[in-house]
Amino acid sequence: MSMTRTRAEAALPDPGPGPGAAPLLSVRGLSKQFPLYSPGIRRKVTGLLNAVDNVSFDLAPGESLGLVGESGSGKTTTARCILRAIDPAAGEVWFRLPDGRTVDLARLSSRELKPVRQHAQMVFQDPFSSLNPRMSVRDIVGEPLVIHRLARGAELDDRVSDVLARVGLKPEHRSRYPHAFSGGQRQRIGIARALIMRPSLIVCDEATSALDVSVQAQVLDLLKELQREFRLTYLFVAHNLDVVRGFCDRVAVMRKGRIVEIASATEIFSKPQHPYTKILLSAVPSPDPDVPMNFNVGEELAKLDAR
Amino acid sequence: MSTPADTPLLDVQNLRVSFATEEGVVGAVQNVSFSIQRGRTLALVGESGSGKSVTAYSLLRLIQPPGKIVAGRILLRSQRLGEIDVAHLDEKSGLLFKVRGGLMSMIFQEPMTALSPVHTIGSQVDEAILMHQDVSRAAAKRLTLEMLHKVGIADAAMRYQQYAHELSGGLRQRVVIAMALVCRPELLIADEPTTALDVTMQAQILALIKTLQREIGCSVLLITHDFGVVAQMADDVAVMQRGEIVERGTVRAVLKNPQHAYTRALLDALPARRHAARQAAAAQLTAASGATASGASAASGAAAAAEHG
Repeated sequence: MSMTRTRAEAALPDPGPGPGAAPLLSVRGLSKQFPLYSPGIRRKVTGLLNAVDNVSFDLAPGESLGLVGESGSGKTTTARCILRAIDPAAGEVWFRLPDGRTVDLARLSSRELKPVRQHAQMVFQDPFSSLNPRMSVRDIVGEPLVIHRLARGAELDDRVSDVLARVGLKPEHRSRYPHAFSGGQRQRIGIARALIMRPSLIVCDEATSALDVSVQAQVLDLLKELQREFRLTYLFVAHNLDVVRGFCDRVAVMRKGRIVEIASATEIFSKPQHPYTKILLSAVPSPDPDVPMNFNVGEELAKLDAR
Repeated sequence: MSTPADTPLLDVQNLRVSFATEEGVVGAVQNVSFSIQRGRTLALVGESGSGKSVTAYSLLRLIQPPGKIVAGRILLRSQRLGEIDVAHLDEKSGLLFKVRGGLMSMIFQEPMTALSPVHTIGSQVDEAILMHQDVSRAAAKRLTLEMLHKVGIADAAMRYQQYAHELSGGLRQRVVIAMALVCRPELLIADEPTTALDVTMQAQILALIKTLQREIGCSVLLITHDFGVVAQMADDVAVMQRGEIVERGTVRAVLKNPQHAYTRALLDALPARRHAARQAAAAQLTAASGATASGASAASGAAAAAEHG
């Protein structure tokens, strides 16, 4: 155990490329496989699916990195491995704590992980299934503080009220249950639950995908405001390229478990390099009837696979 | 039976659909009228709760109690069966069964819930054929295999025997499309057909709907919240808000020059437009500060020149 700790807390030898401040998060060679089973009742493992295959990237403090790709590309698995919602098979996830130490999240034991978790939070896709219907908003939003024994009683109540106000909800919403809220309001509750821990990193897993465009715009604006105010760093998993374009500083495009291209949002969208990125961008239906979309995506992807 | 080419295939007149709830009667669709010409695509667009899906479901008389069509006419001018007012057909009438799936069919948003989990893909498409066409089981199977092939399912014979859970989301939606189009309907209703799919799969499914629409010659009512899909797929568009159509016209007219405030607000909320607006604002800002900066350097240059002079 002590061996693990020394290794895990060792200083990061090379903070990775990129000028400016040392990265908040440094992912190196992250991999995760899932077993493939044979059909039938006696399921035998017939192979391994490389869901995440040697993924490396850095995330600077205050930055928003978009992780895009189609379903099955491994973007959500990558996000979950980073937060140790599932255990990665290989790789390192160096995370800089507020006190300046860096720890390898991939190697911490669950006991060592708990205090670290307050600094890295997640906002989920589905505002309906990610909130317990039997818990009041006060309990949902305050639960992280209770779990980490950071506040209780009147202080807990005050902090819940404060964070609710900050995400655009009212203090009297505390005693209500999730069913009383619209999709956009529920997503604000999910954001409040993440924000109350004052994290440095928030992973948004398709956080606005389930929302109507006008509500989506409001939630994106809120996330941007909070980023400025609390110097948050976002890992923004999304399949909607238009949303990522307006929200993220840099974009990583994933396909079949690998990052095929990573660059600034401006470069990805104006000068995509990888043929897959080009196909992905051409498939987005433009709301301008004079900008035709690519209806030939199927053949182009098949050609890419054949190469 | 004969219908002039210029009369619309579908004429919805003053449709009203209400739901009786404990808090009173909710008018989900209020006095909605629109028409679709033969071979054309009309997009019904709006946010959740605007009544676009309820409108679509009422065309097929799929509104369940406590919901009810309380007023209006749904005139379908079929080439095969003549003019039918679907709104006033008896719930149990044979004609309604001919309309549903025969003259009008539907592609649903969630292909997993639209397909039966306990029947094979093949038997579900067979069933659609056997209900509407007088053919033998063997002939139905031949038609099914042909249709599965047509919707781009490779290895149709193998897929014929599989269950919905064994298929990916894209393949499932192809099966639903095969079921909807195998009886060559005159109107296809597509309710958010690509919302559950990612962008590359969406492009392939939209391409498939376009190709098959051209081949069969049917009209399409496309229900969507995505103006991108509207712009790329539809000829005409109707914007719904709180159960009413607030604006309608050709896609080009409405998207390029929206008249109603709600349409404008929806378009301005699009991520692509927000991005463009921000960039324009940023460009203006840099242009303005650039002008000041160059003005300042020119001034300091002049001052330096004066000093030297």
